[in-house]
Amino acid sequence: MEIKSTNVLFFPKAIGIKKKSLMIIMRTFIFLLCTTVFSLSSDNVVSQNARINVDVDKTVTVDEIFDLIMSQTDYVFIYQIDMFKDFPKVQLKKGTIRVDKLLNQSISLTKFNIVLSADNTIIIKVKTQQQIQITGKVTDENGLPVVGATVLIKGTTKGTATDFDGAFSIMVPNPENVLVFSALGFETQEITVGNQSVINITLKESSFELEEVLITGYQTISSERATGSFSKLNSQDIQEQRPNSLSTLLEGRIAGYQNGLLRGTTSMNGLTTPLYVIDGFPIEKTRYNEFFGIEENLPDLNLEDIESITVLKDASAASIYGARAANGVIVITTKKAQQGKTNVSFSSTLTYSPYNYYTGNLTNAGDIVELEREWAEGNPNLQATDGSAATYSASLLNNAVYTSQGMQTLLNYYAGNLSESQMNNTLNSLGAMQYQYYDDIEKYAKRDQYFQQHNISFGKATANNNFNASVTFKGNKYDDKYSENNSVGINLKNTAELAKWLTIDLGTYIYFNKADQQTYNALSPGFKYQPYNRLVNEDGTLFISTAESRYNNSTLQSINDYGLYNMDITPMDEFGKNLNKGKNFLNRTFVKLNVELSEFLTYNAMFQYEYGVDRTSQLKEKESYSVRSTVNGLVTISPSNTAVYNLPYGDILKESNQFSNAYNFRQQLNFNKLFDNIHDVSAILGTEIRHSKLEYNDNTRYGWDEQTLSFTPINQANLLQVYGPIFGGYLTQNNFAAERELINRYVSLFGNAGYTYNGKYTATGSLRWDRSNLWGTDNKYQNKPTWSAGASWNVDKETFFSPSWVDMLKVRFSYGIGGNIAKNSAPYLTAYYSTNYNVGGLQGGINSRPNPELSWEKTTTTNIGVDFSVFKQRLNGTIDFYNKKGEDLLASSTGIPTEGWGYSTYTLNNGEMTNKGIEVSLSGTIIKTPSFSWDAGILYAHNKNRVNYVNVEAPVYFLQLDYPSAFPRVGNDFNSIYGYKWAGLSSTGLPQVNDASGNAVSYNPGDLEAIEDYGTTVPTQSGSFHTSVAYKNFSLSALFIYQLGHKMRNSFLPMFGNSYSSAAGGYIANIGVVNKRIVDRWQQPGDENFTNVPRVVYEYDPEFSYDLQSIYSYADINIIDASNIRLSNVSLAYQLPTNLTNKLHLQNIRLNFNVENVFTMAKSKDAKYLLGGYQTPNFVFGLNVNF
Amino acid sequence: MSITFTSCEDYLEDVPKGSKIPQTLADFEALIRNEYTNHTVNVNQALNLLNDKYVTAPTLAFDRLTNANYLWDESANRIELNMSDEGTYYFSYSAISTFNLIIENALVTTEADEGEQRELWAEAKVLRAMSYFNLVNYYADTYEASTAASKLSIPLITSANINAPSTQVSIQEMYDFILKDVEEALPYLPAVSQTVLHPNLGTGYAFYARVYLQMNNYTEALRYADMALAENDALYDWTSFYNANETIIENPDSYTSLPSPMGYNYVENYSYRHGAVARFASENDISIERAERFETGDARFLSRWKIRTVGAETFYKATLSGNFNYGGITSVEAYLIKAECLARDGAINDAMDVLNEVRKTRILVDEYEDLTAANEAEAINAILKTKNNELILTIVPFCDARRLNAEGVYPVSFSKTFNGTAYSLASDSHLWTMPFPQGATDNPGNGTITQNVEK
Repeated sequence: MEIKSTNVLFFPKAIGIKKKSLMIIMRTFIFLLCTTVFSLSSDNVVSQNARINVDVDKTVTVDEIFDLIMSQTDYVFIYQIDMFKDFPKVQLKKGTIRVDKLLNQSISLTKFNIVLSADNTIIIKVKTQQQIQITGKVTDENGLPVVGATVLIKGTTKGTATDFDGAFSIMVPNPENVLVFSALGFETQEITVGNQSVINITLKESSFELEEVLITGYQTISSERATGSFSKLNSQDIQEQRPNSLSTLLEGRIAGYQNGLLRGTTSMNGLTTPLYVIDGFPIEKTRYNEFFGIEENLPDLNLEDIESITVLKDASAASIYGARAANGVIVITTKKAQQGKTNVSFSSTLTYSPYNYYTGNLTNAGDIVELEREWAEGNPNLQATDGSAATYSASLLNNAVYTSQGMQTLLNYYAGNLSESQMNNTLNSLGAMQYQYYDDIEKYAKRDQYFQQHNISFGKATANNNFNASVTFKGNKYDDKYSENNSVGINLKNTAELAKWLTIDLGTYIYFNKADQQTYNALSPGFKYQPYNRLVNEDGTLFISTAESRYNNSTLQSINDYGLYNMDITPMDEFGKNLNKGKNFLNRTFVKLNVELSEFLTYNAMFQYEYGVDRTSQLKEKESYSVRSTVNGLVTISPSNTAVYNLPYGDILKESNQFSNAYNFRQQLNFNKLFDNIHDVSAILGTEIRHSKLEYNDNTRYGWDEQTLSFTPINQANLLQVYGPIFGGYLTQNNFAAERELINRYVSLFGNAGYTYNGKYTATGSLRWDRSNLWGTDNKYQNKPTWSAGASWNVDKETFFSPSWVDMLKVRFSYGIGGNIAKNSAPYLTAYYSTNYNVGGLQGGINSRPNPELSWEKTTTTNIGVDFSVFKQRLNGTIDFYNKKGEDLLASSTGIPTEGWGYSTYTLNNGEMTNKGIEVSLSGTIIKTPSFSWDAGILYAHNKNRVNYVNVEAPVYFLQLDYPSAFPRVGNDFNSIYGYKWAGLSSTGLPQVNDASGNAVSYNPGDLEAIEDYGTTVPTQSGSFHTSVAYKNFSLSALFIYQLGHKMRNSFLPMFGNSYSSAAGGYIANIGVVNKRIVDRWQQPGDENFTNVPRVVYEYDPEFSYDLQSIYSYADINIIDASNIRLSNVSLAYQLPTNLTNKLHLQNIRLNFNVENVFTMAKSKDAKYLLGGYQTPNFVFGLNVNF
Repeated sequence: MSITFTSCEDYLEDVPKGSKIPQTLADFEALIRNEYTNHTVNVNQALNLLNDKYVTAPTLAFDRLTNANYLWDESANRIELNMSDEGTYYFSYSAISTFNLIIENALVTTEADEGEQRELWAEAKVLRAMSYFNLVNYYADTYEASTAASKLSIPLITSANINAPSTQVSIQEMYDFILKDVEEALPYLPAVSQTVLHPNLGTGYAFYARVYLQMNNYTEALRYADMALAENDALYDWTSFYNANETIIENPDSYTSLPSPMGYNYVENYSYRHGAVARFASENDISIERAERFETGDARFLSRWKIRTVGAETFYKATLSGNFNYGGITSVEAYLIKAECLARDGAINDAMDVLNEVRKTRILVDEYEDLTAANEAEAINAILKTKNNELILTIVPFCDARRLNAEGVYPVSFSKTFNGTAYSLASDSHLWTMPFPQGATDNPGNGTITQNVEK
């Protein structure tokens, strides 16, 4: 029973008033409040003159002795009731006795303290063991306080933590005790108490110790005992980065993390993304996209709350997650409050990104006008001398085949509507416009991007309660003037120790998001534009793309005859219309119970419920072009030759709702015991149930009135039969409503065990069974467990290992099997049904053939790793070699046409693929002085992917080229890029490729044999270089990210595409903005020796063919090296001096200025352009305050 | 472990929504309503060979197989050019697979009585036979009694199971199979079926007449044509359609389309199947040469096409939009089969009466005159001229041409001048048989496929 000292004022005069009756009250009070003015032995306490008279010999209890004393003196005794209940009775002899002697005889003074308080009150309490109070301060090598350091009495569970000033205070039972000081990021130190009462200690920093504990989500283990491949980031590691997205926090900081994937692509049709785990619960943000496809998104959380991110890469680490762990697991833990003062911190970032549309490689107005002139000059129909040119031109104008201003000017000249000089004047002024359209977009349609993010968090921890709250607000304004996004995330967490053996954790995360998205895009405005187009005319009037400029005479006549709605497009009026408005809500709430059954056995039960609502609504306004054209599109002509409006003319409202709910319930027994100080055994055993459900529905209302909330009923069945005779408009059922649902359930049983001998040798193993509902696997394959085994050896702990410069050396090995699933495949013949709106009733189709062999994908990972720390931990590193071998992968198999599956591939568990690689992380401190330090870190990852088995061949050549991952080839990288071998330009300037026999042809060889593998689209080597320099309160850091060894298809070609023109009844060359290199095109024989840019072949040319553009785009000259190095982030931070912050009563103020995406270096200009290397950087201003 | 899992069995049995395992009669019957998969009858290359659709110069440059067929290029290796897939083959077998699944399961479906089960079974059999008939008349040589047993036709597959055997049977075996399927189905076909996608008794008879005609069995063809006409002999009055829409049809500047009357509710339908494009669309345009082969005053032609010039190209632009029964079977075909059979049988006047009965609903009153014939050849030429025009854009004119060429009495050949070059298609050209697409021969499944044409 610990009794704290407090002020005597708490029981003031009360005692002097009534002695005996008061005593009872006092006896009760004594445990609540106590007073110590002086603490002496009874000899000193009681005046030697105080005596009492005993009238007769008697045997009395100790209590009666006190009564006796009180009745004859002014003394009052205060003590615990029953304190002397079991004491032997005392023999009193008749006579007078000194009070102090009487007390001495009655109670043993070695067991009790007798304390005299004011007003002759004597307090008797059981003598507690002698405690030594130790106070002190823990600082780092720079003299800064170490906050939250643990001070523990060795061999006990008693301890405390340092407060914000690094100060601590602890009661130690005896001088022989040893205090253990430890803190994350510092070497642990032990001090024997001795006769010190103040212990100030300086902890040495240790970067390796950052990885002291690993949190797998199921358990926390010391890194010494880990056998798997882990990477860990702490909040300090990412503080120089703007906390705007999880992926940017990981990129360049986790070796092997690349484009959201860990260690390459490990599945062909299943999920490839890692599993995210937040505070022990797997979080999957699965959503339907607008095309009803299933997408995996990154989880929502307040990134400022992240305490650590542990990435589990191999089987040993991840197999405990079972059927979803083959792609690695990313475990996030959020901050807990530190004991001591209330923690309050505030952070804020403002990001500014100026708008810029890079036009440096685009054809300008002059180039386009030149090409339009070239089209006219080469057109034999226009150059005909028999007078047919005018009719021909008039026909093209009447049929609105060419709608750009330049083409119409030319045709008007040939049709005789313009004089030659009028034409030339117009064309010259158009040609002088440079990049006018892009300039207008910048001026009128776009703005600079501006992002703000603010977070405030509170925390308070006491001995048995830990509370945390944080709120993040994000406000983003995007370059589209009407696109913006605002969100608030609220995170609450509380841990309470209800009893010594029972802890409860409660937490909730609430996320609100509101987003507006502009849907009208000036770069696909609904009319043919060229760089000479404008959004606002020179005279300040708004540019209008008139119906006359786009439609043929017949259509214009119909618009006029039937009085249809205006078909003009005024871009400036469209931008703010038809916004897509989204509102999202998400809540995750968890409760965890931790029951300590004994010193080495605990039981956890944890439950999390997740509920999300995503609502979007798009109100298409009556005045918008979209509504006018939809309504006109569905106009039919009545027998009396008048227009019938099948759709009401009014606003159109499309609303979609998506609900997600998920729960996860886990029970787990944890065992942890050190036997004989050398056999360290830990094990867990548990069960888990997971459920997730996704519901999607949308509906569209026509003739909507936002004010009265009314809408016009429409006849859906009839509308579905309409094919608009003027504009060819039609509707499908999805224009009215759609419904989708996805449900996944799992029941799992898991366990793992680890054994460490003498801190040197560790063996681990884990095993897990998962079963899921019907979708996913056939029952008979559900009992296949995922498992792993691992071993590690702490070499540095061996006595024979002597090099003193090696601080730590550890070798790890692991082997195991992880699973993966495809969320929407089934083992049975399944059919889908929908309404047949032509003949009525339900129509059905076969979704998938029965696939009785459907099982989980199996990925076997072997991992060998070495961790080391040398030169007094100045250089730390990790090297991992891995081989991930995927078997039973869900692979496409070519459907057999005769069996009715010619157009379909079906998925069977017969794919095999390996990913082999090396990952190296090195970090070191190059210079370290009290005021200056320089740190650097390098990450390197090499990954080689190879498809070992698939039974599929592209049924058509272009599928091999366009969808290579659906038709992987054995022996190649799964992400291979395929193309034709370039064979140069022909003597007439046509692009040529080699066919299967090596002949140069100008058409699609259409033969799979002619198609070759030209490398992979995924970097084979990737990593980063990070450096930071700190001088006094300033620090400057830079993060370079590199990706090497991969290819990309150049989709920005110096060649016109072809587009189908219904007006022309065939394909025509699509004269428009392309790569500026088109000016280097083949123009006369012999040019083929200097250029690879093909001649422009217009549709009237006998050599015109769709294939020309197609083979050129597929040729290997347009498969370009995508290797690049980016300076991803530069950060300059300034920490305000402590004396200044102290004056402001603040702990800490940190200011930083970042530049993101500073520059990109790539091998070619085209590659840099396609990689976004010409985008403007982001400028970030940040502030962090700790109160 | 087992205890935990057993208790969770119910929890995991929760069946996800959105799809189901077909079990009831209705589940299987719905498969017939899936018109886009099972009723897409794509015969594009046959139309190209007949020049029944207009092909623009850029398309000829782009699509080399179309070029070979449209310009009757006998030197072209069409096997190489038919590089991968072809809708004719792929869609037909996809439909056959569905019909196989229905035939295998119809008689054990739940929530149905035996009559309903047999009806569904019979409908699937007729549809399967129709798909096989199209395939055998596209990818194999024409039926000739003397050679049918020795020439290969197309793969016959009768089960929807994975790895079910398929055999490239002889032409005779394929025709026998088709005849037997229809014969077995006839007793169970309803006079009026659930929808126009479900074959009725009229479909069965009319299709039987088509098959027998193709086998030169005029007696049986006539018998079944008559039986079909007894089920439905309605003819659509195209002259009325023309008159009702004359303002739009005759406005030379207007290409605003009119709704097609040849959709699901066309009075001539026995049953409905789509052509190559199985959704709302307009028809193919046709060339000036092809347009010239229509009779003057043909209201059906005038309602469907109108001359148009765009730049340097002049052609007949299609002016109807909606749905068109190209792949199914209609009463006009039964009339014209009947007419030919009568002519073949020497009943020339009766034959011409039947033909004129059709023509009266097609030719505008001002232009109409009864046609007469002095002999079988005149009658057959007149009947086939009308039949080629009436059934343009379906597989029937192609089948008829092959039949006549094999017979050798009234051979069909073409010649034309295109961009200044003369082209011709002989009646005995190998081009009349289409090569299998490479995707099929490369991946024949559980069987083998041999090309029936060299190139």
